[in-house]
Amino acid sequence: MLSILIWLPVAAALVGALIPLQRAGGLLALGGALGALGIAIALIAGYSGHGYAHVTDVVWIRSLGIHYALAVDGLNLFLVALTTFSFALAIAAANIRDWPRPRVFYLLFALAESAVLGAFLAQDLALFVAFFDLMLIPFYLLLGVWGGPGRVAATLKLVIYTFVGSLLMLAAAIALAVLTSEHSGQPLSFALTTLAANPLHKGSQEWIFLLFAAAFLVKMPAFPLHGWMPDAYREMPLEVLAVFSGVLSKVGAYGFLAIALPIMPLAAVHFQTLILVLALCSIIYGSAMAFTQTNARLIAGYSSVAQLGFITLGIFAFAPQGAQGAVLQMVNHGLVVAPLFLIIGVLAARAGGSDDIRDMGGIAFRAPVLATFFLIVAFATLAMPGSGNFVGEFLILLGLFKTKMVFSIIAFGGVVMASVYALRLFIRAMHNRVGPKVASGEMSLRNALVLAPFIGAILLFAIYPQLQLHRSESTVTGSIVREQIDTGQNVRVAELTGLPAGWIAYGPNAETTIATGGANK
Amino acid sequence: MNATHAAWLVLAAPLAGTLVIALSFKWLPRQTAGWIGTLAIAVSFGYSIVAFVQLQSLSPEHRELTSSLWTIARTTGVDASATILVDPLSVFMILVVSGVSMLIHLYSVSYLKGDRGYARFFAYLNYFVFSMLLLVLAGNFLLLIVGWAFVGAASYMLISFWYRRASATQAGIKAFVINVIGDAGLVLGTFFIFRSSHSLDFVATFRVAPHVFAYGSGGITAGCLLLLVGAFAKSAQIPLHTWLPDAMEGPTPVSALIHAATMVTAGVYLIARMHPLFQLAPAAQDVGAIVGCLTLLIAGTIALAAVDIKRVIAYSTMSQIGYMIMGVSAGAYAAGLFHLMTHAFFKALLFMAAGSVIGAMGGEQSLDRISGMRKALPFTFICFLVGGLALSGIPPFSGFFSKDDILAQIGSRGGWYWALYAAGYLGAGLTALYTFRMIFRAFLGEPNPQARELEHGHLFHPEQPTNPANGEVEDTDVGFPGPDHVIAERALPMRVAMSLLALLAIAGGIVGIPKTTSWLENFLAPTFAGSTIHLAPSNTLIYVGLALGTVIGLGGIGLAWVVWVARPGSSTVIAARLAPAYRLFAGKWYFDELIDALVVRPATWFGRFAQGSFERVFVNGTLIGGTTAIVRAGSAVVRSAESGFVRYYVAFVVIGLSGVGLYFLVQS
Repeated sequence: MLSILIWLPVAAALVGALIPLQRAGGLLALGGALGALGIAIALIAGYSGHGYAHVTDVVWIRSLGIHYALAVDGLNLFLVALTTFSFALAIAAANIRDWPRPRVFYLLFALAESAVLGAFLAQDLALFVAFFDLMLIPFYLLLGVWGGPGRVAATLKLVIYTFVGSLLMLAAAIALAVLTSEHSGQPLSFALTTLAANPLHKGSQEWIFLLFAAAFLVKMPAFPLHGWMPDAYREMPLEVLAVFSGVLSKVGAYGFLAIALPIMPLAAVHFQTLILVLALCSIIYGSAMAFTQTNARLIAGYSSVAQLGFITLGIFAFAPQGAQGAVLQMVNHGLVVAPLFLIIGVLAARAGGSDDIRDMGGIAFRAPVLATFFLIVAFATLAMPGSGNFVGEFLILLGLFKTKMVFSIIAFGGVVMASVYALRLFIRAMHNRVGPKVASGEMSLRNALVLAPFIGAILLFAIYPQLQLHRSESTVTGSIVREQIDTGQNVRVAELTGLPAGWIAYGPNAETTIATGGANK
Repeated sequence: MNATHAAWLVLAAPLAGTLVIALSFKWLPRQTAGWIGTLAIAVSFGYSIVAFVQLQSLSPEHRELTSSLWTIARTTGVDASATILVDPLSVFMILVVSGVSMLIHLYSVSYLKGDRGYARFFAYLNYFVFSMLLLVLAGNFLLLIVGWAFVGAASYMLISFWYRRASATQAGIKAFVINVIGDAGLVLGTFFIFRSSHSLDFVATFRVAPHVFAYGSGGITAGCLLLLVGAFAKSAQIPLHTWLPDAMEGPTPVSALIHAATMVTAGVYLIARMHPLFQLAPAAQDVGAIVGCLTLLIAGTIALAAVDIKRVIAYSTMSQIGYMIMGVSAGAYAAGLFHLMTHAFFKALLFMAAGSVIGAMGGEQSLDRISGMRKALPFTFICFLVGGLALSGIPPFSGFFSKDDILAQIGSRGGWYWALYAAGYLGAGLTALYTFRMIFRAFLGEPNPQARELEHGHLFHPEQPTNPANGEVEDTDVGFPGPDHVIAERALPMRVAMSLLALLAIAGGIVGIPKTTSWLENFLAPTFAGSTIHLAPSNTLIYVGLALGTVIGLGGIGLAWVVWVARPGSSTVIAARLAPAYRLFAGKWYFDELIDALVVRPATWFGRFAQGSFERVFVNGTLIGGTTAIVRAGSAVVRSAESGFVRYYVAFVVIGLSGVGLYFLVQS
């Protein structure tokens, strides 16, 4: 089931690429993406709320102990749904336009979706790393070939940054597996559960954690590792950017939750303050940049830096509310930033092709539906209470408030700043006098049809975030490993309570106590 | 139908109105949207009455009902459902909110006639009322915060309703951001309370509060002070008040709605609702009372110097809300809410009358140009006079009883509360003075050209409408009341709405005449039954207060008469003699400048620094420059890939990947 989910998009696009019809590539890619979306919805409907579902586990490379292991749990369930949803709509949006070399374009687009799905579903570290790297390649090409005028430099930056990150992670993954194997005396294995069940001692955890963190923070991106972001965002085709920003940035955050924390709990605690400070800097810095930028894409881009900062805060709050909020917020943020980029595309088309908010203005009167959609997205972006994003942010800050009150209070500054940049973008584009080059007009029906599902999903999560919260609660908090530094050097790690997952949880029943040195395991 | 069902319908009606208007605006003929909107609020008001009757049929100790529809977030100890709380306090609020809003909607049906955003206006207006009803009916902190923010969002949309005006969008974002600061305070305050109470539910929180919070402890004090930040932002108390005068950019009915029925009263409601918590945090109560007192004085002085007719009324709102905040902070709950109600009547009336004047002046709002409208607008004049007398606290108008009720209760606390008491009466004098300064200047004296034209039956409208704030020529594309705008004298819905409000402004005090009718106090008693503050002003205090209020009110009016009618020109002399004070008042105590210097400029500066220096030098220079140099060679590959070798490159990648994949598949 999960293998079908992963490979369906790229298989469909491959068929499309082989059919010698101009439009076939796009339509088949769309069909594949919609099929994947259907499977994802079925997964949500069928998920019981506990443990793993649809486990696939076959040995892939025996000599290295690498498995092709996939599973759905409360953590990745909605991220998979978000991925299929965003990709389906982004591919639909791409179909509105004509692209040079359409078959290759859609093949790459679909390959990206398959790779992202693989990264979310992988339960084997080596498989995760493979998918993580695989998903970047299509984006290099989509940016480098179909991007704007400055695409070459932008691609170069993106490749350098993410490639360095990937290499670090690859090295870290190999080191982790080898060291764990040596340490525990078991055969080499990359399975996440095995790695989590046999923690290394603190020193090793720390340097490996830093390598993983670097890769994830670059991917998010977080301050100060966001240098690739402005150029890439400025040049990437908006339909691609919608998923790049909406979905790929979540892989980094997901990596922290699914890999870094459960496998390297001691290091995560050790570096908690460092990561929290980086997250706060991301929030403040991203917000400040977002309200001084005039390029609409960059406003949205820097706002993502700030929002990802909130998600990181939630993860590293080490409180159950924070983790739940972070998981919810990953989905919510994807649901608002993707339509935001698509709307920017519609706006730019009305402002003589310019992304600059100084060239926009006054569109609302002739485009009331677009204005309404945009306003809903803007309010959700700034996490106005009543939106699902608010519930996420509320839980994140509540969790952080319980464990690190000062960080939480400072983070509220970011909440206020979000209202400034989100409304500024909205007002400059939609209100005030009509801009000099603006030809205002309602968006086309096709655009509306692509945007409407996003709006619907935003409203659904606004009214009923419990839809996700109750499915993720068990995985996020229910059971597995408990991490908490006691007054001494002791870390309490709960035993695996029957659930084959490994991730830091914060449930009340922590059991086994082991010494930090880890040597006496 | 029981009370909670009725309360859900109270919420549903305006929401349905919003959706119906928003989804069908293209097909609605001329004024249908207005009537749909008004009908929705009327339904809401009807069900409020049902809720009231049903609640009264229960025994007093059972008048606290909750009802949940669905779960919003129930996880990891957080318990948030869509829960409403129906008790005397919330029923009182929905009656006032929906009742007054209904009349404002009725007024708007005519007032906005001819505006090209007619349907949009009523969609927003219904949403605004829905938000406020949600706020007062919310049964837990999460829903309260949602309603709180919805009110802010709705006010933003309505303030920048005429969004082609730069001044309107500016005012809108200002209101929104200040309200978000309030939201942040409210959320953080909630965190402080939740940390100990472990529940977001009001009833549960209030039940455990005395057990988990020590009297006057740091946690509850911090929590309540942060709740006050939310209350101050929403209720325009210093220093978070600067958005309210600017909110005059919206159409006049919006001002009436913001000032009378919705929005600014939310802070008063919040303190009254949270009274079990505030009573554990005496420091927070004192801060609330003092800030309310300062606001009522400062706003009163600014109103004396303001020349824009709507801004005078706006500052008077701030000042009156100051009374209410002072009252509910000091424990005079029923009195504060009593004033909330009477104020809603006469302030809505005043704004409607002002709207009529502005309509007659063709959009002009400056008191320097409005004069002698008495003959031209007799009906409006009477309404303005009724509203002004009620505002000034002249017996037997409604404001007289409610204001004196607050001050008598505060006086009965003794100690330093006497200072608040004295300040309250000083403020009452200021109120009478600035109110009648406005009335005398607008309605007495030589009729201006527009008034003369109207006396001859012709309604003035300008050739080219301009923005009164900056003289900019309006972009009439979006629509302003153009040549077919109307005034109260000529539109039946406006007259009906104003007449009803005038009656209420005259007689609304009947629900709380001291020693005679204490209907409102008795009705609200179950909500405040657990209150630890018991205020019982002595008879002397009550009668002295009533007498004092009358004398001071009449004195203020008399002074206004002398300065602006009997001896015209003396105001300039006084202004010149008291130049520093006048400059301070006319400069609005320089709060805008202060906030600009302390908050806005540093934030913008930081943003520019981040963008101009840090991003360029550090992120791009150091982090990228170094790496780029190393990998420059690699760029050649990408460049060649870009310039025509793409197919090969892609093919290479695909073949390579498949090869590797195949190898491992075979291997395994």
